[in-house]
Amino acid sequence: MQLRSPRADIVALALLVGLGGISAIYFVLPFAGLGERALSDGRVWELTRSSEVRAALVLSLWTSVLATLLAMVLGTPVAYWLSRSSFPGRSIVDALIDLPIVLPPTVAGVALLTAFGTRGLIGEPLDELTGIRFTFTSTAVVMAQLLVAAPFYVRAARAGFTSVDPQLERVAYTLGASRVETFVRITLPQARAALTAGIVLCWARAMGELGATLIFAGSLEGKTRTMPLAIVDAFERTTLGLSGAVSLSIILLVVAAVVLVFFRAVTPDDRGSAWR
Amino acid sequence: MALSFDARIRLGRFDYEAAFEADDEIVVLFGHSGAGKSVTLQLIAGLMRPESGRIASDGRLFYDSASNTNLRPQDRHVGYVVQELALFPHLSVAENVMFGMEGTRAERLRRASILLERFNLEGFEDRAPRSLSGGQRQRVALARALGREVPLLLLDEPFSALDDSLRRTLRSELLRVRREFGLTVLFVTHDLREAHLLADRLAVFDQGRILQIGPPEEVFRRPVSRRVAELTGVANVLRGEVVARNGQGIEVNVSGLRLRAAAPDEAPDGALHVGRSVEVMIRAERINLRRVEEAMPNLVAAEIRDEHAYGAGHTLWFRPLGVGPELEVDLPSRPYEVLDVATRKRWTLELPPEDLHVVPAD
Repeated sequence: MQLRSPRADIVALALLVGLGGISAIYFVLPFAGLGERALSDGRVWELTRSSEVRAALVLSLWTSVLATLLAMVLGTPVAYWLSRSSFPGRSIVDALIDLPIVLPPTVAGVALLTAFGTRGLIGEPLDELTGIRFTFTSTAVVMAQLLVAAPFYVRAARAGFTSVDPQLERVAYTLGASRVETFVRITLPQARAALTAGIVLCWARAMGELGATLIFAGSLEGKTRTMPLAIVDAFERTTLGLSGAVSLSIILLVVAAVVLVFFRAVTPDDRGSAWR
Repeated sequence: MALSFDARIRLGRFDYEAAFEADDEIVVLFGHSGAGKSVTLQLIAGLMRPESGRIASDGRLFYDSASNTNLRPQDRHVGYVVQELALFPHLSVAENVMFGMEGTRAERLRRASILLERFNLEGFEDRAPRSLSGGQRQRVALARALGREVPLLLLDEPFSALDDSLRRTLRSELLRVRREFGLTVLFVTHDLREAHLLADRLAVFDQGRILQIGPPEEVFRRPVSRRVAELTGVANVLRGEVVARNGQGIEVNVSGLRLRAAAPDEAPDGALHVGRSVEVMIRAERINLRRVEEAMPNLVAAEIRDEHAYGAGHTLWFRPLGVGPELEVDLPSRPYEVLDVATRKRWTLELPPEDLHVVPAD
């Protein structure tokens, strides 16, 4: 075998440094741009205290948290069931759960409209019988976020539960622990890291939801205009403009960073993963 | 009886049907993987449900298809230890041992400490299972299984992942613990020596059936069939035919050679009548090497066709010089050297009649 020449090594190294440099610049520059704009444009700070921005932030926070909680409540049993059972057609169920992840959010929005809109499959009879409407309400915001974001949680949770040795659960049964007790005391702690990752992904996706919300819930200030919608809205009105969009973006960036740091701090690094 | 077991189950192409009883003793379930040993433990623990049968322990009914009884594993109070041990990695040693206990935390902690002491693990309470050695983990798993009051301990190849010297220590520890706690122990293994060492009684499993159950000496010396002989390591299983039978024993013809065997005690009358096709078995280590032919029965003149040395001894393969079967002989290193087998190839093999075991062929 022919040894590589020193020249080839130098070329490879140069290529590595070059590509690394380019990607570093590419991924860092946008954030630098945001920061520069925030520092040089006085209106950015002014606008963070405006009522529009505050309303959007409050709405975004509670809807995304609620959507995440719903995803956990609805998704945990499904994820556990999928991790412990095998049945014909399982891959179809898996694919259906993953579908919203690959689906353009606008399609999810249209789909929600056709089901829960005032002329929708369930929406229309519901409206006629009870007068309840989802569209243009905060409920619709949560529904849009849930549909689009929940699969991220279910996927992570399913992987987490699958990695927990079923033998642990069986031994726990023989030690007298009920199924529920075993799940809470053995399975959940083992899957904690994966569940936490799923929660963060799900929440981040809900927080950033735009397309489905815009179509299904609309953009009503204080009711359905979440942060991402407010950013879009900022461009359409001259009062906020780019400064408004930057100010909203800075807030979202800070919130996301805080959440990331918080979850990294509480996520177990060594406990719960005995297989390393 | 501490345990009475009778169960049938079909799992795909695997057909399981077994029944046995166990007292305050160690019953070793021996067989290849997939023979039904682990299934037996799971059926007793309640982790698997039979299609029919009856399982009871110390007068408590675990399962009974006739009365439609099926106790949950939680309510069976059976100690269950698996090969992978399945220690809860996020809990400390003490918390693992306390897991199955009832009572206040202080009380459980106290009892866990006492148990750990009995397993020579005092001071390890707050350690993570991951930080322990293989043998220590093993003992934590045993202590945890005994954390509840259990009359029955089910061990599924618990020592298989450990090295030899550690296994020896743990085996004697198991024997001590069994006595101290007055337990009935079912011990699954595919290791012949381990089976021999631990078993008060040995159950040989094959393809979902118990082929033979009895004291290990009995099973090893008197296998009931060719299959049991093969599974328990009888090297020489020869096809033959009964040619004579009297009070002292029977005579069989094996490949033209007449061999005398001691009278089989438990064989049903008539099963070994003259003309019956039989399996003639003798363990490789029961065959003697002789330099000269004396006037004694069951001698075969043979020469070494092949040999193989391993640590403690030699395995020799003999080809008969006249009529007779090919035979495998195990010889410890010392007699091998004293007899100078290395230079001499032709020998007279003696097959002692009392070591020759004859069963009807299938």
